[in-house]
Amino acid sequence: MNILRAVMTKELLDGVRDKRALMSAFLFPFLAPLFIYGLMTLVIEQNTKSERVTLPVIGAEYAPTLIERFVENGFIIETFEGDAEAAVTAKTVDLVLEIPSDYQSTMAHFEKTELTVIHDGSRNDTRATVRQVRSLIQDYSSELTALRLISRGVSPKLVRGVQTRNGDIASDEQKAANFLSFVPIYVLMAAFVCGLGLAIDQTAGERERRSLEPLLINPVQRLDLIFGKCLAASIVGTAGMLITLGMCLGAMLLLPIDELGIRFSLQWDQVFWLVIAILPIPFLASSLQLLLGLFAKSFKDAQSYVGFLVFIPVIPSLLMNFLPFATQFWMYWIPVFGQSILMKEILGAEPVTVLAYPAAALPTLLLGLGVCWATSRLLNQERVIQS
Amino acid sequence: MIEVAGLKKSFGEVTALRNVSFTASDAKVTGLLGHNGAGKSTSLRILYGLVQPDLGFAKIDGTNVSEDRVLAQSKLGVLPDGQGLYQRLTPREHMRYFGRLHGLTEDIIEARTTELIHLLDMAAIADRRTQGFSQGERMKVCLARALVHNPKHIVLDEPTNGLDVMTTRKVRELIAELRMQGLCVLFSSHLMYEVSKLCDEIVIMAEGRVAVQGTPAEILESAKERTLEDAFVTLSERVVLS
Repeated sequence: MNILRAVMTKELLDGVRDKRALMSAFLFPFLAPLFIYGLMTLVIEQNTKSERVTLPVIGAEYAPTLIERFVENGFIIETFEGDAEAAVTAKTVDLVLEIPSDYQSTMAHFEKTELTVIHDGSRNDTRATVRQVRSLIQDYSSELTALRLISRGVSPKLVRGVQTRNGDIASDEQKAANFLSFVPIYVLMAAFVCGLGLAIDQTAGERERRSLEPLLINPVQRLDLIFGKCLAASIVGTAGMLITLGMCLGAMLLLPIDELGIRFSLQWDQVFWLVIAILPIPFLASSLQLLLGLFAKSFKDAQSYVGFLVFIPVIPSLLMNFLPFATQFWMYWIPVFGQSILMKEILGAEPVTVLAYPAAALPTLLLGLGVCWATSRLLNQERVIQS
Repeated sequence: MIEVAGLKKSFGEVTALRNVSFTASDAKVTGLLGHNGAGKSTSLRILYGLVQPDLGFAKIDGTNVSEDRVLAQSKLGVLPDGQGLYQRLTPREHMRYFGRLHGLTEDIIEARTTELIHLLDMAAIADRRTQGFSQGERMKVCLARALVHNPKHIVLDEPTNGLDVMTTRKVRELIAELRMQGLCVLFSSHLMYEVSKLCDEIVIMAEGRVAVQGTPAEILESAKERTLEDAFVTLSERVVLS
């Protein structure tokens, strides 16, 4: 125990004094949530553009009632002249509505009337406006059809055919959790990112500066050495992970996501359970990094491929997004995956059985212990010292 | 007392040690002399528990290193081939870390640190981070951390390699001082004059074997040569030819 503490204290002291490495390690917890906040704000804005939209129209004079409808709905109508496609391509306008000159005559003869919305489908920022214009025209057309039927003594219900009713069973919180699925990814990634530098410095770095041999000559069990190192790296990883969690939750609370019709609220007990759920992750992350770090030939070598571990937490979230499934209890057993599910459920205010926490924590911790043990065995091998 | 018997070790295809046996007694300086690649470092690594021998054993005060590595290591102070330091720690912190790894109490570490700082004349650098230390200063830190637990056996792997004249002198003085204190000192070197000047006993190694062990006089006698250098060459060649 004393040995473990001695190693951990020394590694932490050493790590904390490496100001530059520490700064770069903690860039992630502070920058990632900020970046996300900015990105999400943009997404929300584009999806809920409520300010008055300018709609360039060709031939507005042919359809005064339709135009009036647009004005009622907050559009500013602007007469457009010239090459509509070129203007959209050049991004001088977002979209152009073209009303044909035969609008009145086709209407009068109950023939098909075609309006054209010229826009660039590859642009994300105009999609909401285009959709809005389309649905407004659609509504207008339905009303017109209904009136025409009534004038002939036919009930408009006759042409309604099949209709859908919205039976969405997801709670607003669940939708919010889904929308904010980046949070589990970032928080778990932070556990891998923040302790990375220290983990490499303690293995590949120790070997590179030729201090591993003097260290191993000391009368201590190799497992104590590895545990001490692993704990030091996980403490840094945990700090980074918790900062990321705090920043992400803060960003979520600040984001105006209720404008999307979804709701996110946070209770203190949710925060508590989130922390409990993710606490074993840094230990596993650090143990894997130490193991790979010992295999590396040099510090740089280690940095490049130990870095790939960072993508481990991305996999479960991708799976959850693209292969939707109902949570089965055994899924909690899978390290990292279990934590991702737990986070999603806690954030979505879904009921989580208390057993799920140990079910997710135990395999993760056991795997971490196993990796530590394997690493300590590796220290017994001569090639570790002979660089 | 350090005892090494019948050591054999191969790394894959390469045979590093064929048959190595020697002893180093208390209150004596024993020198391990040999060309680069003669097997000195490998023998010492087996001795301090970093490499497992294929055959044979190494004992420190009767403790077999392969059987109880931790106990054997606790009796040893080692200046290994790798002399890396932690750049962001001070010499005092190096000694504290290694003292703790040896299971010493904080009081003893404190007392011993003060003692070593005095012995190695490093008061001026004791609380500076080791980054940017000169070769000599680094050597002092390495020695200090090797000696922090007051070991009865000292093993030094090429201690004067790459040192300037002044530091080399210091190291030699220290070796002499440690012998005075009754310690068992074993060091390796490829420098003839260094070994001849310092050692009570010399072990000449070549091609993974011990060519001869004895006092300088005995070695001259067995090689029928007048100088140790000639004796070294003759005995090494004898091994190569055999």
